[in-house]
Amino acid sequence: MQRHLRKTILAAAVLALAASIVVAAGSASGSKTTTAKAGGTYRVGWEGSFGFTDAFDPTGEYLGNAWALYSNLLLRTLVGYNHVAGAAGNVVVPDLAASVPKPTGGGLVYTFHLKSGIKFGPPVSREITSKDVLFAMERLANAKDGGQYPFYYTVIKGWDAYAAGKAKSISGISTPSATTIVFRLTQPTGDFIYRMAMPATAPIPAEVAKCFTGGKANQYGRDVVSSGPYMIQGMDSVDMSSCASIKPASGFNPLSSLTLVRNPDYNAATDSKAARQNLPDEFDFTIDSNADDIYNKVAAGQLDDEVSSPSPKVLRKYLTTPSLKNLLKQNVGDRTWYLTLNLTQAPFDDIHVRKALNLIIDKTGLRKAWGGATAGPIATHIVPNPMLHNLLSNYDPYKTPGSAGSVTLAKAAMKGSKYSNGDGMCDAAACKNVLMIADTRAVDKGMVPIIVADAAKIGITLKVRSVTGAYGVINTPKNNIPISERPGWGKDYADASTFFDELFASSTILATGNTNYSLVGLTPAIAKKVSASGTVTGIPSVDPQINHCNKLTGNTRVSCWAALDKTIMTTVVPWVPYLSAQNLNVISTNVTKWNYDQFSDQTAYAHVAVK
Amino acid sequence: MTLYIARRLAWTLLVVGAVLLITYAVFFLLPNGDIATRFAGKAPTPQLLAEIRNRLGLDHPWYIQFALFVKHFFLGDAYGWPGLGYSYGGGVSVLSEITSRAPRTLWLITGAAILWLVSGVAIGIVSAVKRRSLTDRLAMGFALFGISAPVFWLGLMALWIFWRILGVGGGTGYTPIAQGVGSWAGHLILPWCVLALLYAAFYARMTRNNLLETLGEDYIRTARAKGLSEREVIFKHGLRASLTPIVTMFGMDIALLVGGAIITESVFNIQGLGWLAITSALNQDLPTLVGVIMLTATAVAVMNLVVDVLYAFIDPRVRYA
Repeated sequence: MQRHLRKTILAAAVLALAASIVVAAGSASGSKTTTAKAGGTYRVGWEGSFGFTDAFDPTGEYLGNAWALYSNLLLRTLVGYNHVAGAAGNVVVPDLAASVPKPTGGGLVYTFHLKSGIKFGPPVSREITSKDVLFAMERLANAKDGGQYPFYYTVIKGWDAYAAGKAKSISGISTPSATTIVFRLTQPTGDFIYRMAMPATAPIPAEVAKCFTGGKANQYGRDVVSSGPYMIQGMDSVDMSSCASIKPASGFNPLSSLTLVRNPDYNAATDSKAARQNLPDEFDFTIDSNADDIYNKVAAGQLDDEVSSPSPKVLRKYLTTPSLKNLLKQNVGDRTWYLTLNLTQAPFDDIHVRKALNLIIDKTGLRKAWGGATAGPIATHIVPNPMLHNLLSNYDPYKTPGSAGSVTLAKAAMKGSKYSNGDGMCDAAACKNVLMIADTRAVDKGMVPIIVADAAKIGITLKVRSVTGAYGVINTPKNNIPISERPGWGKDYADASTFFDELFASSTILATGNTNYSLVGLTPAIAKKVSASGTVTGIPSVDPQINHCNKLTGNTRVSCWAALDKTIMTTVVPWVPYLSAQNLNVISTNVTKWNYDQFSDQTAYAHVAVK
Repeated sequence: MTLYIARRLAWTLLVVGAVLLITYAVFFLLPNGDIATRFAGKAPTPQLLAEIRNRLGLDHPWYIQFALFVKHFFLGDAYGWPGLGYSYGGGVSVLSEITSRAPRTLWLITGAAILWLVSGVAIGIVSAVKRRSLTDRLAMGFALFGISAPVFWLGLMALWIFWRILGVGGGTGYTPIAQGVGSWAGHLILPWCVLALLYAAFYARMTRNNLLETLGEDYIRTARAKGLSEREVIFKHGLRASLTPIVTMFGMDIALLVGGAIITESVFNIQGLGWLAITSALNQDLPTLVGVIMLTATAVAVMNLVVDVLYAFIDPRVRYA
């Protein structure tokens, strides 16, 4: 009996072992990359609120997250991107247009030929023509319709006259046929092609959008008519027979969710798989007020992706768990975080002090507040390296050991300052209680003590005021804020003009909503206009260099921007750049294909798939 | 009584009006920068900012904006009556947002209120009757825990233990009751319990203290001497007299939770009125903020009135002229 029992037990053990080997082999093969297939719903948890700047109306929407949805899923522009990572993701490719045109007429004329067979989605469902692109441009030019980046298109002849209401049309845009649109510029503009890939230039059907003008313009965001592979759910039920009958599409509640489904009028033959694979049947974007809940749901497979910021706890979990590591996606974000120094306010009106601050700040410490090395590489100059084709990847004019700051080097720089009595410290009264505006995010709370301590090492004592929404304070020159740790700047498209024009050109200094926080190029006349006070004479300007680079194209243009970056970092020194931000995405095990869209710095929804 | 109610309603209108006026004043007098820049992109032109201010009604002084709000409130606007305008950022009607989110908050409060009232009063009664026993000490220990534990911690722990580990409950989010009672209740059970715990603790302590005081009165001794059962003594004579402060507290708690269950709504992603209030404050969305504040202020004022009227029925000594 005992022998029989032993045999039985042994047989059972062998069977169990065999079964576990089979199961393990099965799950091992299951854990290998599954072939991406069409179908399913891609579910994204979105933290807090959509944060749209113009209620999702493409004419006025200036949020990168919104651009990802437009460019990947909803809207096609004359030219676009392949929605991939890295330098390849910043290359402009044809979209509505049959090819990317080269400028003619001395760099002043761009002629686009539209492909045929591309239609608007429901409820319009008709072929897109050149007039629809023209309508979108006119809507962008009309300030009453809320366009937020028309300044990119003032180079088009007649734009300003139309925008001012002095002309009935934009003379520099013509539509000689239904499939041809011609742009005539006032000056050569080397990055004009990039500007025509912006979502606001996507065709808009006048028969719908005419109902959304002036004060109601941004309500078009509830009924955006698709020209892409997906549409807002419910658009096929929208009644466009009259303006009064148009109701918001059911698939979009601006405060809680957005659902995109396949556009039945989309013709994949007019698109390229390199640009859009369109694998899921549906995309669900749902607001979640609890960031931890989002990551829990991604981990549990109830969500596939997230629009949020992983906490240090989440990062640690994904970085230290081998089975989770490949679910944390890290990509260069084409964004620089920096401390901004106001050139009109003591002691930062002295270049020696600005250089000393660059040499004393512990950039590695600041990066730690962002989460450490996963947050991205230390920034040593203004424009992210990929945008300058890595021409400045080894350039660090304020190099210190470990990027941790150096008291010796900082004091050496400070010695030449009028605020120092030669001991390398900032001794004057102007160096004490200098106001610094900080924000109230967790990362700001981590950075502030480091900045305060570092500045104190060279005699600058900072008085910190923390404000939720600090941008609202620092973008008003009359507040005369000497220094702020809040700013970051990301590209609008992959040309350095999107940094230099808006951050350092004197023409962009505004009384409110100013982004040239350092007031580079300020003159006494501009200072009076924007009510800035302090040292308003002798402020360095880089306007000539910016204007020169803007006229160039190709590699010459990139080299010009790289040289300007160096000039600003050494002869103007308006910033202490410290971080080239990476974008981090956490995805679930349901995701069988994932890519990163370098244009929008978000998930490339055009190239994702789920089980 | 009718005259009393009419007078109180008139005062309610005045109180709500004063709250709104203060809200407008604080919103505009706080140094929060130019709101229009939040909706204007990176490098707004003065013309664009002017258009945005005009669209949002920000080109009027704050007291004019307040007056316009009052006018639209009583006369209605393009989105219906009362006219609460539309949110700055979402471009949605504030009235529709509030009416669509109010059920989430009201269901949350209703379920939690039932739980805390029943459990809190019951625990308080047991604790008072079995004074200084082990039961009493455990009950008051529970009360101390409930009062001390932060709601956000309770919420996160509840989610982790019950939903994540034990698989109990629907997790976060809200399912309307029309989509299934099971799913609706499954999503609300944890928020109900978490929200109820703090209040149950307060109510347990209050009930215990009040009941102990009442049970020491002479008329209770007389009732016992007359041979009434302990059950009758406690429930018919003791508890009724102890209820007055509990009714007051209950009314105020319900009213304040209308716009105030912010932490519970955020942790459990219920996205009700409390969440709407905090989101609109952070996004400088004045119309939505004003809409929620108005609702909350009205709720507080009305509940105060309801409580005062109930007094007259609970306590025969109270009569209103």
